[in-house]
Amino acid sequence: MTGEPARAAPAPWHRFTTEPETVERDLARLALTIVELLRQLMERQAVRRVGQGDLTDDEEERIGMTLMLLDDRMTQLLERFGLTRQELNLDLGPLGTLLPRD
Amino acid sequence: MTNALGERNVALIDILDRLLEGGVVLTGDLTLAIADVDLVRISLRALICSVEADREGTTGTGGRP
Amino acid sequence: MTAPRYVYAIGRAVDPTDLAGLVGIDGAEVHRISHRDLVAVVSVAPADEAALRSRLERLDELAVLAEAHHAVVALIATQTVVVPFRLATIYRDEDRVREVLRQRYEEFEALLDRLAGTVEIGIKLYVEDRQPAPAAPSTSGRAYLQQLSQRHRRRDEKWQHAAAAVERVDTALGAYAIDRSRHRPQAAQLSGAAGDNVLNAAYLVPAGRLIEFTDLAQRLARDEPALRVEVTGPWAPYSFTESDHGDRP
Repeated sequence: MTGEPARAAPAPWHRFTTEPETVERDLARLALTIVELLRQLMERQAVRRVGQGDLTDDEEERIGMTLMLLDDRMTQLLERFGLTRQELNLDLGPLGTLLPRD
Repeated sequence: MTNALGERNVALIDILDRLLEGGVVLTGDLTLAIADVDLVRISLRALICSVEADREGTTGTGGRP
Repeated sequence: MTAPRYVYAIGRAVDPTDLAGLVGIDGAEVHRISHRDLVAVVSVAPADEAALRSRLERLDELAVLAEAHHAVVALIATQTVVVPFRLATIYRDEDRVREVLRQRYEEFEALLDRLAGTVEIGIKLYVEDRQPAPAAPSTSGRAYLQQLSQRHRRRDEKWQHAAAAVERVDTALGAYAIDRSRHRPQAAQLSGAAGDNVLNAAYLVPAGRLIEFTDLAQRLARDEPALRVEVTGPWAPYSFTESDHGDRP
């Protein structure tokens, strides 16, 4: 078949492979995506309650500290597995991505 | 892959949008239930299964030989 | 012939010379099946139905099929108006195709009349994926929550502005088009595009106004700093094949 225009390399897209070298990393990525989802949901909930003004100063302090530590912990876990936060996501096709992209 | 204006590299995802969501839908004789084969299932399966990422060498089977 | 037929599109003035040497799915020769002035553009379908079904579920093999199908449609669409078919419509044999042309004659004729002289333009709008500057570490839990609230508020505002901008662009373009249709937003992981796809629309435009339309789209996008535009096409009218009697729910 002559004259076929060169095909550009397909855009990289998320995939979980079953190759032995990457399986641990991929499982970590999947698990941490779920953890990150929960962490973001908790953050969202906390922000909403602060906005509603129904937390005492003390509660705000404790919740804030907890979330801050959770965020640090996530950063450490990501470093440990050589992942970036942007890599934590699941594409659900027409439902969009599991986590917001920003 | 060129289109009518000679633009190169019509993006696969744009083709899939049109061929999976667009086009006339008629019940063929093949029990393919094409409506079920949508991007969700394809995306999820492609995520989970091992797929050869390197298609750079492959040429399509359409067009003139 | 009794071999099953894969249908790419239906047209009227499909010149056999345009099909000379044209191949479709799995390299099968593309040919015509006619009924009165309607022509179905077909090729002999892959024999193994189960294999075809499983090919549709692998992105790499689906891509090969989709590109082969699209290549046939795109080529014929440069010569005459066609009603493109969705992927993988297959009939038992030649007679069945003719029967479909007969049963749906008025519907296809009406659709071809409507689509004659038009093209489809794809407009995709993206919101840039600006990463916020890393925040200074908080001194207290409360400070951290303040930071979070600010970040969330900024993000919500950004999305609200983007949504309003999208509406402005879509409305302005829609006023110029015969019809418009929306596809689902594209996942960045599949498209590789920068930013979030917030509008994935198709517009049916008279062929003579193609340049005018794309110029308008570029101009509108320039006026909206929050958005980036990608124009695709012209396409055969894949996104505008619904008719009153269609099977589509």
